[in-house]
Amino acid sequence: MNKKREIFILAVMCFVLTIAIVIQIKTVNNNGSTIGSSQSESNLKAQVLRMKEKYENEYRSLENLTTELENVRKNVASRNDELKELEDKIKEANLLLGNTDVKGQGVTITLNDGKSETNLFNPENLLVHAENVLLVINELRNAGAEAICINDERIVNKSAISCDGNVIVVNGEKIGTPIVVSAIGPTSRLSTLERSGGTLEMKFRILGKTAEFKKINSLTIPKYTGIYSYKYAKTVE
Amino acid sequence: MKKGKYVMIITLSIVCFLLTLIIFMQFKVAKETKETNIDTMQEAELRQQLANWKTKYEETREKTEEISNTLETYKKESTSDIKTKQALEAEYKTLEQALGKTDVEGEGIIISLREKNENELSEDEFITPIVAEDLIYIVNYLKDAGAEAISINDERIINNTDIVDIGDFVNIKINSNYIRTNNYEIKAIGNSSYLESSIFGKGGYAEQLNISGIKATVQKSNKVRINKYNGEIEKKYIEEVN
Repeated sequence: MNKKREIFILAVMCFVLTIAIVIQIKTVNNNGSTIGSSQSESNLKAQVLRMKEKYENEYRSLENLTTELENVRKNVASRNDELKELEDKIKEANLLLGNTDVKGQGVTITLNDGKSETNLFNPENLLVHAENVLLVINELRNAGAEAICINDERIVNKSAISCDGNVIVVNGEKIGTPIVVSAIGPTSRLSTLERSGGTLEMKFRILGKTAEFKKINSLTIPKYTGIYSYKYAKTVE
Repeated sequence: MKKGKYVMIITLSIVCFLLTLIIFMQFKVAKETKETNIDTMQEAELRQQLANWKTKYEETREKTEEISNTLETYKKESTSDIKTKQALEAEYKTLEQALGKTDVEGEGIIISLREKNENELSEDEFITPIVAEDLIYIVNYLKDAGAEAISINDERIINNTDIVDIGDFVNIKINSNYIRTNNYEIKAIGNSSYLESSIFGKGGYAEQLNISGIKATVQKSNKVRINKYNGEIEKKYIEEVN
């Protein structure tokens, strides 16, 4: 009787031990796999950083080449008036395309999310959405803006403004609040955005968001750092 | 006894000093990890980042090559006025296309928007006419999908284009030209599948228009032609910074 009981206890203990060992092995295995994935993740991180550096180096050499091209072009075009005229047209096109830093009179509009007590009914309205920014840009163009940037991202013809969760994406770069929209153009006309019933009031302040408007005598807007490349569109005569 | 006390104080201050140092180091490390937020990124996000940088790198590389070639031509042909002129014209032409001052052709889509007929409307639907905002959003979606050229009713969209309502939503004005119609034809050149899904994909803007009584249809084509912008591009207020 006593012996049977001992055997039974031993069996239970063995069983428990086996389970414990199995669990232990499984945990170790799991650990191993998380180590594996974090390794591949850190590998990925290294790759991202390497690619970023590669891009930055390439961009630097592009900038150097562009400067060289400008000098060489200026040099060859100085030979006669016809060539000089063409060179001027190229320079003008680059200016209009946002390929140079520009300065002039203009305005800045700082857009920010509202505080929760200003709009209790619809907190969604408190956030600055990509659509809101898009309308401000359109309004600025209507008022004669000739160059626009959002934070440091120059708005060119191919720039899209989209949402990525709660973050706004411009030219593929994420931009958080406060969003500063700068525009160069006739300040008197650009000021129409500020009038009552205008975009800033109707699309921002009424909803509880903030929009701070400022006229500036001399504003600098950085150049576009992306590339114009055309894979589908071909010019036809 | 006094000596022991001094030793004690010195030891304590050294320990305190070390502790502060360690805390500062810890703060710094924590801050650094925050700055290079790459550490907190998930694998999917990292892959996305990698793809983004790669595209940017490749585009930049192509551009570098293009510029090197142009540079080469200028240097090589520096004695011939005719060749130099040709090179300058070639360079200007690519810029002209980017400005939207040339007619362009290529793969793309044509979107038609029209108000539904009475019999097409379901019971809870009623027609809300198309307003400037609709067109602004559509243009932005198309740009996001990589459109290389866009026009609305043959009015080319350039960087300075504004789209506004005139009167009580009777007309829309694009590039200072009035569009007096409720039917719109939007053309875009680019990858036709991307462009299509940017508007007609699930939850896309076409669905929203449909609820507003606007029927949107799309046609893909290998040969969409988009006219050039005919107006002047203003530059009275911008001045180049060197």
